[in-house]
Amino acid sequence: MMHCTMDDLLALRAGEASVWARRHVEDCTACRAEVDAVYQRVAQLKALPALRPPRDRWSIVRDAARAERTRRRRTWGVWGLAAAAALAGVLLVPGFGDSGTLHAELSKAKDQSATLEDQLQNYDVDGRVLSGRTAARVAELEDQIAVIDGDLSRQAAAKAQAQDVELVKLWQQRVDLMRQLVNVRSTRARYVGL
Amino acid sequence: MTVALAVPDVLVARAQAGDEAALEALYRAFETPVYNLARRMLRNAEDAEDVLQETFLEVVKSIRDYRGEGYLWGWIRRIAATKALMRIRRDQLRATEPLGEEHGKPGMHVGANLDLERAFEHLTDTSRAVVWLHDVEGYTHEEIGELMGKSVSFSKSQLARAHARLRGLLGEGEGAQA
Repeated sequence: MMHCTMDDLLALRAGEASVWARRHVEDCTACRAEVDAVYQRVAQLKALPALRPPRDRWSIVRDAARAERTRRRRTWGVWGLAAAAALAGVLLVPGFGDSGTLHAELSKAKDQSATLEDQLQNYDVDGRVLSGRTAARVAELEDQIAVIDGDLSRQAAAKAQAQDVELVKLWQQRVDLMRQLVNVRSTRARYVGL
Repeated sequence: MTVALAVPDVLVARAQAGDEAALEALYRAFETPVYNLARRMLRNAEDAEDVLQETFLEVVKSIRDYRGEGYLWGWIRRIAATKALMRIRRDQLRATEPLGEEHGKPGMHVGANLDLERAFEHLTDTSRAVVWLHDVEGYTHEEIGELMGKSVSFSKSQLARAHARLRGLLGEGEGAQA
């Protein structure tokens, strides 16, 4: 008597078996037992105990995460400088309306931003331990700065005088966020130093 | 093993923002399922550890790309399975023994689970990967074929050969044949 092959048995389990296999298994106790055995084998495989990692690799992953965040922030810094340069070029064009005051405010915000970036570099040690709450705050501030950098680059590209006030406001917001970021970092640095 | 599929959206969002505590929470939630998947697919425990590490390095790097389509575990599991399969391919390229050759039959005189576990370890790397992905993780043959860069029929035939081999190793009945 011809019996089901393993392909037939697995097809039966998957509901994809041929008409012959379906009819055969109804009449053949041996093949029905084989189908049951396949089900049992799979059930036993699913019931195997979970194997747990023998060593904790989180510290390696965490270091990589910190490096990734630092890399991203440095990228943002480059974007910020590029946006500043583009904006300065726009506002310094002769005849660019009443740009004197705006230019002064912009220069001030840029200088403050650059100073804060430098300060941040001093606190941004990859190996420094941050609490979860501090890390969350840092990530939140960095994201907000990234959003502003994106807005700045778009505004600078638009080169529209009507948006000059908005540009200065964005730079001032950036400075404010940078200041908060430096405060979070420096507070934590002092704490760790103790 | 049962994996908690539901991860709070806020935790994912925080991880995507680079929040280290959230990333660690994800790591803790999925380190065992990822390691278990890799260890079942790979012969070597150290390789499985490396896959665990590589998987989460990829998660850290790419979690911003996760759009919330499907369970996070499905996304992470796919990364882990891909990494494990890459190792299998690498090892096969280096191996001197012919592909598809099964290892010798182990002595099996203890409990049923251990018997099956030991028999499972004697399958080829590819067979083990297909069995685990299909029968335990629930991947379809189409998905396995795609992951392995092979056809659907390759996945099906590997599964059938593996089950026939397991059946033989476990000393089960005589009815069906591969």
